Amino acid sequence: MNRLDNQLSRRRFLQASAAVGAAVSLGGITAACNAIGQPAVQGGTFNWMTWGDHYIDTQLKAIEASDKIVPQISELAGNAEGFAKLKEVKGELDQMSGDALWVPDAYFAEGLIEPFDINELKVSSQLYPFARQFEIWTKPEGYLGYPFGWSPISIYYNVEHVTPAPDSWAVLLDPKYKGRIVIENQPEEIVAYMGKASGVDDVYNMTDDQLATVKGLLEQLKPNVLKFAQQATDSVNAMTSEEAWLITGNLGNEDRVKDGGGPEIKGFIPKEGTVGWMDAEMIVKEGKNKSLLFPFMEKSQQAEYIAENFITHGRPLFNEAAYKILVDKGEGDRADRYLYNKAEETLAKTTLKGPGTSTEKSIQLFNEVFGA
Amino acid sequence: MTTEIVGGAALAPPTAIGGRRSARLRQLAPFLPAMVIIVGLFVVPLALMFVFSFWSTNENLDVVPVWTLENYQNFFTNPTYVRTLFKTMVIGAGVTVVCLVVAFVVAYFLSRYVSRRWARIALLIIIVPFWTSYLLRVYSWQAILGEHGALNQVLVGLGILREPSLLFVYNDFGTFIVLAYLYIPFAALVLYASLERFDFTQLTAAQDLGAGPVAAFRRVLLPQIRPGLITACIFVFIPILGEFLTPSMVGGAQGLLIANLLANFFKTALIPEGAAVGFLIAAFVTALLIVFRRYLRVQDVVVRG
Repeated sequence: MNRLDNQLSRRRFLQASAAVGAAVSLGGITAACNAIGQPAVQGGTFNWMTWGDHYIDTQLKAIEASDKIVPQISELAGNAEGFAKLKEVKGELDQMSGDALWVPDAYFAEGLIEPFDINELKVSSQLYPFARQFEIWTKPEGYLGYPFGWSPISIYYNVEHVTPAPDSWAVLLDPKYKGRIVIENQPEEIVAYMGKASGVDDVYNMTDDQLATVKGLLEQLKPNVLKFAQQATDSVNAMTSEEAWLITGNLGNEDRVKDGGGPEIKGFIPKEGTVGWMDAEMIVKEGKNKSLLFPFMEKSQQAEYIAENFITHGRPLFNEAAYKILVDKGEGDRADRYLYNKAEETLAKTTLKGPGTSTEKSIQLFNEVFGA
Repeated sequence: MTTEIVGGAALAPPTAIGGRRSARLRQLAPFLPAMVIIVGLFVVPLALMFVFSFWSTNENLDVVPVWTLENYQNFFTNPTYVRTLFKTMVIGAGVTVVCLVVAFVVAYFLSRYVSRRWARIALLIIIVPFWTSYLLRVYSWQAILGEHGALNQVLVGLGILREPSLLFVYNDFGTFIVLAYLYIPFAALVLYASLERFDFTQLTAAQDLGAGPVAAFRRVLLPQIRPGLITACIFVFIPILGEFLTPSMVGGAQGLLIANLLANFFKTALIPEGAAVGFLIAAFVTALLIVFRRYLRVQDVVVRG
């Protein structure tokens, strides 16, 4: 291509760009004029940062069709990350999901969320009564979040390969299971599990001595860990393919593995105790679209959707009316096996997830052991 | 030459100085978009990361702007980080060598023995994997190398193994294999571009003049494709230093690289701590580029591939 060709094509390129630009601008202006000409519609969009199991697509589509409320969802990877994100973007988010003690000790303490009167939401009458009165979420200003799901962290094992039946965290340290354990990739939680294994109660606020003991356990655990699962389904898949004989996870993994065509597995809550989570939907104080949240929650938290969510994602939720639907649908046995009806007593025995004083040291410790 | 012009300009009337300045500004104008991108998307974030790396995080996960060297101290006093960085470099160097060797053989064959039309079709086949997602390609390796994967099935089927082996994946070997697979196309494209311009009759001429095949290769071919080799090294080695996903997915608990340890800080919102590790990696990469720059001129990459 000679210089003249270059110039010509450049000119043509600029002409074409200008034409495209003009067309796009004109289109935008026309669309805007049309929008102005139309009557205002109810509903709108709001920004929601949440975990992937807090909604199902059919539910969102139904709400969009009936109420024209559309959540723009961004995936929440973990509590710390979500908390840091909200501090950064504040009013750009409207609704945020968060776990247990993260709600009062981080989000509320930092003034990021707005307490509300949960009884103003008619749908809250479908919750178990205790779920409307969690002490950790009750403040004079109101309730800190709308209770959603919960689970203790259990250990699941392949009954054929793991014998005798374990009842303790110690099974994860047994050299017999070298390269046969899959744990979710959450360093702080893995350190917390080993804290429980060593008998520490407050695993998110460990002392240096406690962390030193935990380090020894992590070193025993390391050769046994095949991989860190990026998400819960990775653990289930590893168990289904029998690559893993032991995994940690939420309630309900027995059925997930069975549904995937995997072997018989059983789960247990370790005798030393475990950590657990219970999450809630929080209203972001500076959220620009928070007026949409109550109407959205009224719809999205309805028992029918929550029952459907249980069937899809398989872990207990706080909606009592949904339990009745599950029984009617023949899913009562499954719900009972997942302790759906036993939230209060089960959660009372767990250390709830929350921000702690030993976070940084836990990460340093994890890196120290699992690095080269 | 430049000194003379500048010296001359010092004595020239102000209007002439203004004219030269505006001429120089006009000359620089085309570089403005690139400068904005480099400064805005590279220099500024790097500077921010550098500043953050000297701060700390409190118990509320707030970044506290109090100057401290603790994050760097932690890196250098905790042998794990240094060891993991070293391991990452060793794996990166090993993968780079494998990629260069494989890519060189492919590129040499295509540029010397295959017609240009067929060579281009072959290159298209080499880059076809880029059309699928990175994640999918790594996942597929899990299925190939896993305990119940294709490789184990073949080896057991052929009677080479009595039972499936766990040695192919979830360790450094798995990471190595998958990284090599992922980066070979980069090296192949760069080396092909270099070799395509090489006049292979020079090798015959060298041999006619008494050089053996090895000497001809070493003293005639290699110097001429050196820019391509260095560019391929840059394209393979440097991204591997920041590889996070592949070691997470096929390295297992035993195959973590430095970026995985770095990610653990960011996951828990320990931003300054992560920034220090990130900055050290960035500093190392920059130092490496400076070393490479000694052997590489921009026109080598642009003109000669």
